[in-house]
Amino acid sequence: MATIKIPAAGKDIRSGTVIRWLKKPGDPIKKGEILAELDTESGVLHVESPIAGNLKTILLDTGKTGPVSAPLAEIADELSSAPPLPLSPAPASPPPPRSPAAAAGKVTPILMPKAGQSMEEGVLVKWHVAPGDVIKVGQAIFEIETDKATMDVEAIDSGRLARIIAPAGKTVPVQQPVAFIAESDADVDAFLASGGSPAATAATASAPGSASSATSPSATIASARATTAEGRVKASPAARKIAADRGIDIATVAAGTGPGGRILSTDLPLTAPAPAASGSSRRRMSQMRKAIARNLLQSKQTIPHFYVRLTVDAAPMVAFYQAAKAKYPCSINDVIVLASSRLVQEFPAFRSRLEGDEFVESPTANIGIAVGMDDGLVVPVLVGANRLSLQQIAAETKRLAASAKAGKIEGMGLGTFTITNLGMFGTEEFAAIINPPEAAILAVGAARESVIVKDGAMRAGKVMTMTLSSDHRIIDGMLAAKFLARMKELLESPDKLAP
Amino acid sequence: MNQHVNIAVLGAGPGGYVAALKAAQLGATVAIIEKGHLGGTCLNVGCIPSKALLASAELLHHIRHAAEMGIDLPAAAVINWPKIQSRKDKVILGLRNGVKGLLNARKVSIHTGHATLDGHGKISIAAHDGSKQSITADKVILAVGSVPSRIPGWPTDTNFVCTSDEALHWQSLPAKLLIVGGGVIGCEFACMMQAFGVDVTIVEMLPRILPNVDAQVAALLHKILAARGIKIFTGVKIESLAIADSIARATLADGQVIPADRVLVATGRRPNTAEIGLNSINLAADRGFIRVNDNMESKVPGVYCIGDANGRCLLAHAASAHGIAAVENALGHNHPFRAPIPNCIYTFPEVATVGLSAEEAQTQGLPIAVGNFPLSFLGKAMAANDTEGFVKVIRHRETGALLGVHMIGHNVTECIASAGALLHQNAKVSDIAEIVFAHPTISESFKESAEDSLSMGLHLPPKKVLRAVAEV
Repeated sequence: MATIKIPAAGKDIRSGTVIRWLKKPGDPIKKGEILAELDTESGVLHVESPIAGNLKTILLDTGKTGPVSAPLAEIADELSSAPPLPLSPAPASPPPPRSPAAAAGKVTPILMPKAGQSMEEGVLVKWHVAPGDVIKVGQAIFEIETDKATMDVEAIDSGRLARIIAPAGKTVPVQQPVAFIAESDADVDAFLASGGSPAATAATASAPGSASSATSPSATIASARATTAEGRVKASPAARKIAADRGIDIATVAAGTGPGGRILSTDLPLTAPAPAASGSSRRRMSQMRKAIARNLLQSKQTIPHFYVRLTVDAAPMVAFYQAAKAKYPCSINDVIVLASSRLVQEFPAFRSRLEGDEFVESPTANIGIAVGMDDGLVVPVLVGANRLSLQQIAAETKRLAASAKAGKIEGMGLGTFTITNLGMFGTEEFAAIINPPEAAILAVGAARESVIVKDGAMRAGKVMTMTLSSDHRIIDGMLAAKFLARMKELLESPDKLAP
Repeated sequence: MNQHVNIAVLGAGPGGYVAALKAAQLGATVAIIEKGHLGGTCLNVGCIPSKALLASAELLHHIRHAAEMGIDLPAAAVINWPKIQSRKDKVILGLRNGVKGLLNARKVSIHTGHATLDGHGKISIAAHDGSKQSITADKVILAVGSVPSRIPGWPTDTNFVCTSDEALHWQSLPAKLLIVGGGVIGCEFACMMQAFGVDVTIVEMLPRILPNVDAQVAALLHKILAARGIKIFTGVKIESLAIADSIARATLADGQVIPADRVLVATGRRPNTAEIGLNSINLAADRGFIRVNDNMESKVPGVYCIGDANGRCLLAHAASAHGIAAVENALGHNHPFRAPIPNCIYTFPEVATVGLSAEEAQTQGLPIAVGNFPLSFLGKAMAANDTEGFVKVIRHRETGALLGVHMIGHNVTECIASAGALLHQNAKVSDIAEIVFAHPTISESFKESAEDSLSMGLHLPPKKVLRAVAEV
């Protein structure tokens, strides 16, 4: 969304009065199209649109006056006329050297990440950035909703966000571009006009906590590479000779800076790309990995874990989620957090921890929520979840996750019970390690289609398997089984969860 | 026996005598007291004598340009100054008698002498022969006017240092005249005296001449006057003035010395309210001015003040209009006065304005569009061989209302009335574009300028439509 403003069209012009709008809300707008006629101190001023998109809201009505730079209208960025990009997964081997997208002439598509094996498409919920913004690696740039969860997507390339082609609300298949990073809009136009290079896909976004970095090939494309009509790469004779001397395939040189993208000797890398490493590589452990290693090793070695597993009929829960979702944003995981918070309140052992020879019982349900990161995971804690509604839980969880990704982990050490959910990746079931010093952890699998046998009859339905890992020093098997049974009861009759 | 009247008017200038006539017309008994001549400043030492002299000067100006009009004169024009003066005096006399006749015809009792308030509704009159008289009145209208300011500490010899009061009756022309103040009076005298062959210098303390007039208009007049050889200093103060060997020497703040054989002080006017017994009715003046509400009534009920003395607008026609409003309110008709007052300057070219200037409108934060039509595009101006000038129209962009009109050029003081009328009627500028103006006239330029403010003028090249990319 861009707010366009009254331009400073001359030194005598201090303000403009709208004579008429040539566009109305909902109209598609081309860049350079006249949007409105303004009456000014120096006569009539035609105001052109600086961007393409859809006129969303008129902020200065006909007959009204605003000073220079006063908001005129809001335009939702959208290039409806942009041709769909021919896309195919990029051959990832060998990856071309990654270069900053901001380099002149380069266009880097930002792709819908594949945040899970089962994910085929995602709904772009909201853009956090607007065209023209300079985005940085790691910056949350948009939010997507998959069939499993809602999550923020971070940039994995930096540069100027030139154009958004998937506006909020649009469903985009995975690995399809949603926006482009480029220095100038003309570069995007040129890139789109050229149909993009077939090998030119680049994932410039990652869904944190997903396996996206492993599943989405990542490459920066160089659109400016010039080829002749015969497909021969344009390069100077000197560049060809030096490339041959250095053992560089001239076709792999990213971009030429000569006229028409011709490759010059100065565009060549100094050495040929190193061959793919044959042996193993070595890198230092990050602080986060060290913490994970320390905590979970201690947990697995000192806490007597035992596991109780149960499969629930997921259909009522999904229906409940969908009904709620029509009213406010939330996820299936939020429903499980809701159910857990009520149960933890019901079962004091699940809000207890062992300190020496004493049990310390928390008065409230403090639910940890595992948030996956690029290199590890963190568990912010939703303190007092038993007092929150589903809507509040959803909002709070989202805030905690965003905060955790920004480096601030809230409620650390206050949790007694954690929920970890790999359902969005299609994981059917798994057993988690307790996050010490908590009493238990609930591992949630995917809500998946399955055969349900009930009363001797089979039917197709949706099931979800949950595995509860408990600390036997605090919780016995029977208690864990009762807890899960109650969980099943709640999730299969979720109306009991309604306030 | 004391005379009692419904309305007593102090001062018989254009405010007072019109108020008296109006009161009489409405059936009131009226007394008017004047210490000088009937007609006040306007008729005796203001508008009328200056216009009479300017008319001679302007004619001379045209004679000098007669050859351009195809009129060859056998010899150069010769100025007969005493005759110019006596013609002016005849005009004054005629008008004075006219005022007297009008007052008599309406049975207004005219008293000559100095009037002072002597308590509520009581006025003492000291006649010039020393006799005293007292009258009582239901309502009192103070129309005491103003006198030209003099500069404290400067020589008082009126053979050298004058105000407009003396200058309008000079028996001889100076060779070198220094005019202190570039306002309306300064500019009119400069224009007049230059035409009569006087070497004129204007010194204005403020950054420009005509500081209260539209800046573009003032700048054009400055250019025209300077081109005629009038030396104009602006933004500079006269530090001192001394007379030695029959020569006045003014020293400017920058050290320059300007010698002159006469100096005209035209720095403004001050209200004539000091000796009229305001104390007796507990009416306090504010810097000499008697402040009034829109009904022209002062803080003391039943006491009205009109014209220069109330400080609202020091112009004869404002005083007359105030006078009518004051009388109507005094006699129980409700008539708050809010009409726009046009302002005319009788230089050649003339200047006439009414309403807000572009600067004033912008200071008030109003969204305006400005139209401008140059007289050089106008048939009548070309025919009259007088094409310098323009007409500027200020339009409110949201309401479309006419906000102000600013004219400089041939005969524009005769054109401003239509602008004032439309402004008074809250006309929209688009209405003006629909009115038919006679052709060829100078007035047409007002319509053209109004159309230009709407970017729809036909007698100007099409206004370029600006185009700009919206900011994001």
